[in-house]
Order: sequence, then C-alpha cells, then structure tokens
Amino acid sequence: MTSDDELFRCLVTEHQEMVVNTCYRFVLNREDAEDLAQDVFVEVFRSLEQFREESKLSTWIYRIAVTKSLDHLRRLNRKKRFSSLKRMIGINDPGDDIAAPSQNNPAEAFAGNERSRILQDALQSLPETQKSAFILSKQEGYSNQEIADILNISVSAVESLIHRAKKKLHDKLYTYYAEH
Amino acid sequence: MKQEKVMKPCHENIEAEVTETMGLLDQVEHLEVHHLFRVRLMQRVEEELVQRGRGRVSTRLDVGLAFIVLLLLINLASALLVIKPEESQSAATVGQLADNQSDDYSSHEFAYYDQAASYVPEKP
Repeated sequence: MTSDDELFRCLVTEHQEMVVNTCYRFVLNREDAEDLAQDVFVEVFRSLEQFREESKLSTWIYRIAVTKSLDHLRRLNRKKRFSSLKRMIGINDPGDDIAAPSQNNPAEAFAGNERSRILQDALQSLPETQKSAFILSKQEGYSNQEIADILNISVSAVESLIHRAKKKLHDKLYTYYAEH
Repeated sequence: MKQEKVMKPCHENIEAEVTETMGLLDQVEHLEVHHLFRVRLMQRVEEELVQRGRGRVSTRLDVGLAFIVLLLLINLASALLVIKPEESQSAATVGQLADNQSDDYSSHEFAYYDQAASYVPEKP
C-alpha cells in the first residue's frame, strides 16, 4: 500500500460522515446522499495530486460535496421539468408510474411527507448561493467562517445570504399556506 | 361573505404552519454512514485505478504510433529530397544538350556562317 493510498483511507475515515451528512442535507435522500458522497471521494482521489493547499483539505472536500449536491439537484430539476413537459404533450413515461419504495427510516419518512415536499420546493426556489449557505448553516459542525471558506466568500456575505434565504423561504411558505 | 372570512386561514395560523415547516430543517436526523460505504468506495477507486492504467497504456500506444508516423514522414521526405534533385538534374542535362546543339553551329568550326565574307577584288 502506497503512502497516497494510506492518506486517502485516512481522509475517507475522517470525513465520510461529514460528507454524507452534507450531501443528505441537500438531497434529503439517504441513497442519493451516499452515492454523491462516493462521487465526492472518487473526485478527491482523482484530484488529490492537484490539490494546491490554497485552502484546508477539509474545506476543499466539503466544497466538492456542495458542488456535487447542487449538480444533483440541478439534474433532478431538469428531469422534473422534462417529465412535466412530456405529460403536457401526452407522453407517459412508465418510469413515472412506478411507486417509490416504502420508507421505513424516519428520515425518509420525513422526506416523503407533504410538509417536507413543500419545504423542499421552497428551498429549490432559492438561488444556489443562498441555498448552500442556509443549508450548511443548519448542519452541525460548520461555522460561518467554514461556510465562507467553502463558498469562497466573506463571513459577512455568508451572514447576509443566510438572512436573505430565511426571509425568502419564510415568504414563499407564507404565500403557499395563505393560498392553500 | 362571513363564511369566506371564517374559511380563510388567519395570519397566526399561517405563521404557525410556516414555523413548523421551517422547523423540519432542524429535525433532519444525523446519518450514520453505511458499514459498506468504504468497501464500495474502495472498489470504485480500484476500478478508477484500472481505468487510469488502461489510459496510460493507450497513451503509450498513441505515443508509439505517433513516433512511427513521424519516422515514416521523415523517410518519405528524405526520399523526395533524393528524387527531386535527380529530376532537376536530368532536366538540366536535357537543357544543356539543347544548348550545346544550338551552340554547335556557333562554334569555332562553323564560324564562317556568321562572318561576313571578306571579298578582295582581283587586281587586273
């Protein structure tokens, strides 16, 4: 086993929990979060030689996690738009009719219920930087300084983004509940 | 009209719903990483290494092929360089022959064609 392999194993052991939970905060689905975390570590393995130590190694890894999660959400959104477009023009995708697997995990039950769907929709409507700052601020283990390092912005910008995200989320939800 | 007012959710109710929904974000449970996570990851990394190895072999093959093509080009170019001067040389030889032939009539032996006859009248 080379020293690089040993270093990589140590990195995985040290950061796997934080990476999986960061991805989970974004996608709110255990399987997707673990798949994304795997992608994150494969990316880390590929690019470890190019890491230039401009930031902390952990910051670099969490930045990859955030980027991968946002990419995943973008893909989901595209898929969603495409399916609704197909429904509009009358093409039924058999995959859409397959029922989602039952959720026996409380977290998945959370992700499955109506209230969480409303929250997810409201979160998806936020601009990506606001969404990232807000979601990371909700996760234990990230200080505003760390969020600033991950997003490559200043601490005051992070505070402002979180504040605006909260307000926008509140307004969205308020409008939704006022109408329904 | 009165019934509509009753049906419409009041501000407090809406705020309560909003607070409860936003509160879900604080209730997201902390995930324990699956015990097979690292095993699967290492499998993927090994696959990545194999692919990288294949990539290196194909890169080496590409370099070898490029070198062979370069050698062929150099050979062709040198062959052309050898053939071309011979061609121009033979062309030059034909030209030279033609010149020589035309020169034959202006050579010293045939010079009388060019020279005006020197007529000297006979003395009576």
